[in-house]
Amino acid sequence: MIIKNLAIMRLSFILALFSTTPALALDADSIVKNGFEYWRGKASIATVQMLIHREDWQRSMTIKAWTRGQKESLFYITAPPKDYGNGTLKKGREMWLFNPKVNRVIKVPPSMMSQSWMGSDFSNNDLAKSDSLLLDYDHSIIGTETHEGKKVYIIKSIPKQNAPVVWGMQHLKIREDQIWLSEEFFDEDLKPVKIMTAMEIQMLGGKLFPKVWRMRNIDEENRYTQLSYESLEFKPGLPDQLFTLSSLKQLRR
Amino acid sequence: MSIETKMAWRNIWRNPRRTILTVCAITFASVLLVFMLSFQFGSYETMINTSVKISTGHLQIQAEKYLEKKSIRYVIPDPDKITAILNHIPEVAAYTLRGQAFSLISSQDRTYGAVVTGIDPEREATVSRMKKLMREGDFLTGHEVNQALVGRLLAKNLRVTIGDELTLLGQGRDGSIGATVVQVKGIFGSGIDEFDRSTLQIPLSTFQEIFSMDHAIHEVVVIAKSLSDVPEIKAEIQATLSGLDKDGSLKTLDWQELMPGLRQAIEMDLVSGLIFYGLLIIVVAFSILNTFLMAIFERKKEFGVMMAIGTSPRRLTKVLLIESMSMTLIGIVIGIILGIFITYYFQVHGIDFGAGQELLSQFGITGRIYPKLSLLSVSIGPVMVLFFTFIAALYPALKVRRLRPVEAMAAI
Repeated sequence: MIIKNLAIMRLSFILALFSTTPALALDADSIVKNGFEYWRGKASIATVQMLIHREDWQRSMTIKAWTRGQKESLFYITAPPKDYGNGTLKKGREMWLFNPKVNRVIKVPPSMMSQSWMGSDFSNNDLAKSDSLLLDYDHSIIGTETHEGKKVYIIKSIPKQNAPVVWGMQHLKIREDQIWLSEEFFDEDLKPVKIMTAMEIQMLGGKLFPKVWRMRNIDEENRYTQLSYESLEFKPGLPDQLFTLSSLKQLRR
Repeated sequence: MSIETKMAWRNIWRNPRRTILTVCAITFASVLLVFMLSFQFGSYETMINTSVKISTGHLQIQAEKYLEKKSIRYVIPDPDKITAILNHIPEVAAYTLRGQAFSLISSQDRTYGAVVTGIDPEREATVSRMKKLMREGDFLTGHEVNQALVGRLLAKNLRVTIGDELTLLGQGRDGSIGATVVQVKGIFGSGIDEFDRSTLQIPLSTFQEIFSMDHAIHEVVVIAKSLSDVPEIKAEIQATLSGLDKDGSLKTLDWQELMPGLRQAIEMDLVSGLIFYGLLIIVVAFSILNTFLMAIFERKKEFGVMMAIGTSPRRLTKVLLIESMSMTLIGIVIGIILGIFITYYFQVHGIDFGAGQELLSQFGITGRIYPKLSLLSVSIGPVMVLFFTFIAALYPALKVRRLRPVEAMAAI
């Protein structure tokens, strides 16, 4: 009896040994995926204030944003008046800009995707390829910590071979209630380049959500871009025609 | 004339043929050195003036951090103060003002990133060769707005020709979004692909409006009357500027700082030239050494007699050195004079580069290179010849001291 018990114990121990690694890896993937889905929702409408801060000046704009799923988004600037009506549409890896003054739509060429978006610390890529984190990276949990009494997973994301990405590695911190706390970007030499941090977690659009996001260069404390949600509403869906070039042109009103 | 000089002079002409041949070798080396160095310096000047006239200029005044980081925010807020200074410097041949911003440039179906430069068309024509580089269409006249000059390769990439519309989208000085539609008025080809691929020029006033610049600009580009005036102008601008601009936010840069690659190319060429001249001088020095050694073997008996009748070895050495130095000096003097004449002829008429001329003239270069005489190019070669022949002559002149009169007299 004892021997049988021991055998079962040993067997389950071995099984446990074998199963832990894949289970953990699966876990990391699903944590990232769930976190990402929680962040984006099925669809959302938001008004965001974007503050570009530099050592000697700063500037803020108000942006209205629609997102649907992981791939489609549409934003346009509502303030300051000088920039009113400038819009951006992204679908997957493609991105278009609209300027009301010249009434033209410009497709952002691939070579320009790493340039900054509207002078901020977000690159066009950061905006257009946000779901690339799910598709192009392998994730693994490298540690945990606690934040406001909740468990936080620290996840290391390494790009898959031949994935079309610019970063050499990313570190994510995702809380157990699926709230995305930070995303740190590393270059090919695995040196940290910039970090996006979430702050002021509160009820927004019917769920707990960080109100403020800040993208900061690692070496420059005084240079960052901060997004703060003025309003956020999650929707079950948004119409197809919202994410088209003609809608990008019409948003100027 | 001392007795030694007299003896040396007579000795030289005891064998006129040999003396003339030696003098000829020295003359030839001197002429070659004077001409080659003048030619090299002249071609550098042509190279520099050609390069600076594409767009850089001899000198530029910019905001302090602009060279390092071409951000639209680093501006010269009040260019009028600087132009007032430049108007008072007589060595300044021309200057112009420019603004630069990186933008998206979009045609009907293509978009590229490029540098949009705002230029003052009338002044630009006096500073750079832009006006001569137009391949299609016309240069800006200064009165139109929303007209653009596009680099040849950029136009090809965007698939546009004269009269087509381009949309510019970039970021203004205050961070706002600058956008406009311009019409292609001309297409230029500088021959430098990088420049032709990434440059679009519009009138400065249009530029300042789109990019919210007010009256600010990024670069004051200065052309000097002559390359040699550059350091003087630079010093003068810096002196006057430091009085005006207390916080030192403006910087005066010369072509060497603006185009470090060009300076390095020149330095490299100069070094390879110097190696060649060094070899030439060594060959000449050995031929002199040979002549003198022969003279001593030949005249062994004569030296023996002289020593026997009481001539001191010191005196003999002196005579021999005077002999060699006067031959060298004759050669060098003739060489310099001849060299100056030959070089001067080409300095006036230029040296034709034949087949290349047509190609070069497309880029506004005449295709002729003009050597340039200067104190340095005339003196440096001959002085080196003098120095090395002196060293070469020293050996036989000192060897004489070790002769023993009796043995020497016994020689044939």
